Amino acid sequence: MSSSQRSGPSQTATFALAIGAALVIGTLIAIVAGSDLLKAGQAFVTGLYPPIAVTDQGAQIRDLYTIVFLISAAIFLLVEGLIIWTVVRYRRKPGDDTLPAQTHGNKIAEIVWTVVPTLIVIFLFVISWQTLNVVDTHSAEPQQRIRAVAGQFQWQFDYLSADGKTILYTQLVPTGEDGGMVVPAGRTVQLTLVSQDVIHAFYVPQFLFKRDVVPGRVNSFEFKVSDKEAGQTFRGQCAELCGVGHRIMLFEVHALTGAEFDTWLAAKVAIPNATPPPTPSGEAGPTINVTASGVKFEQTTISAPAGKHFRIEFENKDAGTPHDVAIREGSATGKEVFKGELFNGVAKKTYDVPALPAGTYAFVCTVHPTMTGTLTVQ
Amino acid sequence: MATTKVRRTAPAYGSTLYDWVTTTDHKKIGILYIINSFVFFFIGGLLAIGVRTELAMPGLQFVTDQTYNEMFTMHATFMIFLFVIPMLAGFGNYVVPLQIGAPDMAFPRINAMSFWMLPLAGVLLLLGFITGGTAAAGWTSYAPLSLDRPLASTGSGQDLWIVALALIGTSSILGAINFLVTIFKMRAPGMTLFRMPIMVWTMLVTSVLVLMATPVITSALIMLFIDRNYGGSFFDPARGGDSILYQNIFWFYSHPAVYIMVLPAMGMISEILPVFSRKPLFGYKAFIFATAGIGALGFSVWAHHMFTTGAVYLPFFSVMTFLISVPTGVKMFNWIATMWRGQLVLKTPLLFAIGFLSMFLIGGLNGAFSASVPVDFALHDTYWVVAHLHYVLFGGSVFGIMGGFYYWFPKMTGKMMNETVGKAHFVLMFIGFNLTFFPMHELGLAGMPRRIADYSSTAGWNDLNLLATVGGFTIAASMLPFLWNVFLSLRSGAPAGDDPWEGNTLEWATSSPPPAYNFDRLPEIRSERPLFDLRHGRTDER
Repeated sequence: MSSSQRSGPSQTATFALAIGAALVIGTLIAIVAGSDLLKAGQAFVTGLYPPIAVTDQGAQIRDLYTIVFLISAAIFLLVEGLIIWTVVRYRRKPGDDTLPAQTHGNKIAEIVWTVVPTLIVIFLFVISWQTLNVVDTHSAEPQQRIRAVAGQFQWQFDYLSADGKTILYTQLVPTGEDGGMVVPAGRTVQLTLVSQDVIHAFYVPQFLFKRDVVPGRVNSFEFKVSDKEAGQTFRGQCAELCGVGHRIMLFEVHALTGAEFDTWLAAKVAIPNATPPPTPSGEAGPTINVTASGVKFEQTTISAPAGKHFRIEFENKDAGTPHDVAIREGSATGKEVFKGELFNGVAKKTYDVPALPAGTYAFVCTVHPTMTGTLTVQ
Repeated sequence: MATTKVRRTAPAYGSTLYDWVTTTDHKKIGILYIINSFVFFFIGGLLAIGVRTELAMPGLQFVTDQTYNEMFTMHATFMIFLFVIPMLAGFGNYVVPLQIGAPDMAFPRINAMSFWMLPLAGVLLLLGFITGGTAAAGWTSYAPLSLDRPLASTGSGQDLWIVALALIGTSSILGAINFLVTIFKMRAPGMTLFRMPIMVWTMLVTSVLVLMATPVITSALIMLFIDRNYGGSFFDPARGGDSILYQNIFWFYSHPAVYIMVLPAMGMISEILPVFSRKPLFGYKAFIFATAGIGALGFSVWAHHMFTTGAVYLPFFSVMTFLISVPTGVKMFNWIATMWRGQLVLKTPLLFAIGFLSMFLIGGLNGAFSASVPVDFALHDTYWVVAHLHYVLFGGSVFGIMGGFYYWFPKMTGKMMNETVGKAHFVLMFIGFNLTFFPMHELGLAGMPRRIADYSSTAGWNDLNLLATVGGFTIAASMLPFLWNVFLSLRSGAPAGDDPWEGNTLEWATSSPPPAYNFDRLPEIRSERPLFDLRHGRTDER
C-alpha cells in the first residue's frame, strides 16, 4: 500500500478522539449551563416519547408508537451493535498480510435476513392498520360539530348545529382566555376543516394528530378529549407552510366539562343581542377612515389629534378574510396600545380609540403582519 | 501497470480554461460535475447555517419571515438538485466508463451539454436573490401557495425556480440515457452484466428511475408555470383546479428521487467496503436484486408524503412503504457481512462508509415510524421528518459521497489525501451531524412544525434548538479540515500510483489520473473483481 502517512493508527485515533471529546464536553457545558446534567439527561431520554395524549384517539396512537419504538430500538441496538463489534473485532493488525477467507455469500443467512424483516414489517403494517381503523372513523351522530376555517394566517371556529347545517356561533379569536377552540371533554367532536386560500394543517401536538386543511376539499376527523383533561388548554398551530405568517398561525384548544361547555356556548349564542358598550367620555376627536382591501390597508399614513379619543371607521373589503386594526407604539413590533375587534369581510365596524399621547404609532392587522401603516398623533 | 499516453494534438486556443470548457472527456466532465456540486453544497450549507442561526433562540433576531422562507426553500433546492443528484452523476461520469473498461461515455457531447445546463440552472436560482426574492414556498412548492397570491410572496423567483428545475431535469434525463447506453453497449469484453461493479449497477437502476420519473415532475413544473403566468387552472381550486393533483405528480418524481439520491451512494460504499475489508461483497447478486427491487417499489410509495391530506388510499401506500424497507435491510446485512471476518483497514474512505451504515440505519428505522399511518399523523410536517430526511440524505448520501471522494481522489488527481486531516474531518462531521439532527426527533415529537422562522419561548423547544444549532456549526467547522485536506493534497500529496488501495475494479488498472480514453490494455475479466483475480487468483465459481 502506498500511503503518505507517517502517523500510526493509534496516533490518528487519539487525535480524532481528542477533537470529539472536546466537542462533546464543550457542547454539554453549553447546553447544561445553569441546569443540572442528570435532569437534562432524563429530559433527553423522555423526549424520545411523544407527549401524553389528551384524546382517546391520541392515546391509541401513542400505544402504537410504543410498539414501533420498541421494535425499532431493538433492531437499532442489534444492528448498530453488530456494526461496532465488527469494526472493532476485525481491524487489520499491523503487519498481518494474510488474506481473510473470501466468502461470497451464504444462502441460509440471506434468506433469514430477508424473511425475518418482511415478517416484522407486515406485523407493523397490520397493527398500524388496526389502529388507523379506530382513530380515523366517522360516527353518524357526533355529539358536537365544529368547523375550523383556516386562512392566511388565522383560524376561526364555527360552532354548528346538531345537523351541521347552521352556524350557531363563530369564534374569531384563535388564542387567549376568551378565544380559542372551546371543546367539551368526554364528548365526541367532529371537526370539519375548510380553507379559504392555501393548504394549511390543523395540528395539536397533544392530540398526536394533524390533518391538512385543503382548499376545494372538505376534510374532517373526530376526537374525544378525555374527561380528566377538562379545564386544560392545549397549544395548536398550522403545520403546513402557508406563507410569510405561517409561524404566527397559532390557536389554542380549551377543554371544558360538558356542562360548562353547554353554558359557554349558550352565552356566546346570546351575545349578538347584548347592548353595545358606552361611548367613552371626554373631548371627542375626528373619525378616521381605514380600508382593508386585497390584504393591504389602502391608507398607509393616517393622523389623529393628541389627547383626544377618536374613532376609526374600518371597512374590510376582503370577502371571508378577517382583519382588524391594532395600534402599536413606535413600530409594528412595539407595545400594543389598542386593538379593535376582528371581523370577516365584507363588513364595516367603528372602533372607539382612547386618547393617545403625541408621537408616532404603527397600525397593523394582527392577522396579517404584512399589513401595516403609520399613525401620527400630534 | 504500464500505460502509454495517447498523443494529443494541441488544443485550438491553447489555454487550460478553454480545454476544460470544451472538454468531452468523461473524466473531466465528472470532475466538473463534482466541483460544481461542491460549490452549491457550500451555498446550500450557508443557507442552512442561516436557518440554524435564526432558530438558535426564540425570537426573530436575524432575518424576516420572508427571508427565512427563502433560505430553507433554497437550501433544499440547492442540496437536492444541485448537490446530491449532480454529485452522484459526477462520480458516475468519472467512474462508470472506467469500471466497465470503456474509453468514454457513449455520447460525449451530450455528456458535456448535460453538465453545462447545471451551472446555468444554478445561476438562474441565484438570480432570485437579486431580483426581489427567490422561491419561498418550500422545495416542494405546493400549489396553491406557489401560485401567484398576495401572501405567498412568491414573485419572479418562483418562475426562475421552475425554469431552473426544468433545466436540471433535462440534464438528468440526458445523463440517464447516456449512462444506460454506455452501460449496455460499451462494456469491455468479458464484462457481463453480472460482473459489473455494484457502483455501475446502482447507476444503471438510478438512470432507469431518472428516465421514468423526471418527465413526470417536468410536467408538473410546466403546469405550475402555466397556472402562474398564462391563467391556467390546473392546481388552483378557486378556478376549478386541484391542489392535491400537484402533490401526486410532484411526489411521483420526488419519492423515487430519494432513491436517485441514495442508490449511487450505496454503490460507492459497496466499492469501498470490500476493498478495505479485503473481502468480496457478500451476496453480490442478492445486492443487485435488492437494488432493482428498491427501484421498482420506489414507484409505489409516493403518497406516503401525503398521508395527512385526507386524499390518499392509506393502507396501500402504508404497506408498500413498509415493504420497501426489506430490500434496504438486506443490503445493510450484506454490508455488515462483507466486513465480518475481514481485515478492516480503517482509512478515511472506510470511516465514511461505516458512518453511512450507522447513520443510514437510523434513517431507515425512523422512516418506519412514518410508514405507520397513525404515527405519521403525529409526526408529519414536524421536525421528526426533518431528522428522518437528513439521516437518509446526509447520514446516507453525504457520508457516501465523502467516502467516495476520499476513495477516488487519488485516482482523479494522482495524489493521496492526508489521512490525519481526513479522520479529523470525519470525526467532526459525524459528531456535528448527530448533534444537529438527533435532537430534531424530539423537537418533532414535542410538536415543533417544520418551516417556522420562530417559536414560542414557552413551548419547551429552546434547549434542543440550541443544541441543533451548535451541531450545525460543528458540521460547518468540519468543512475546514476537508478543504484544507483538498488544498494540501493537491499541492503536496504523496503520489498515489495506479492502485493505492489494492482495488478490485478496472479503474485501478490504469494510471492515476487515467489518460484520455482510459486504457492501453485491460486485464482479463472473469468476475466482478478483475484486479483481485489478477493479484490472488479466482476465489469463486461464478
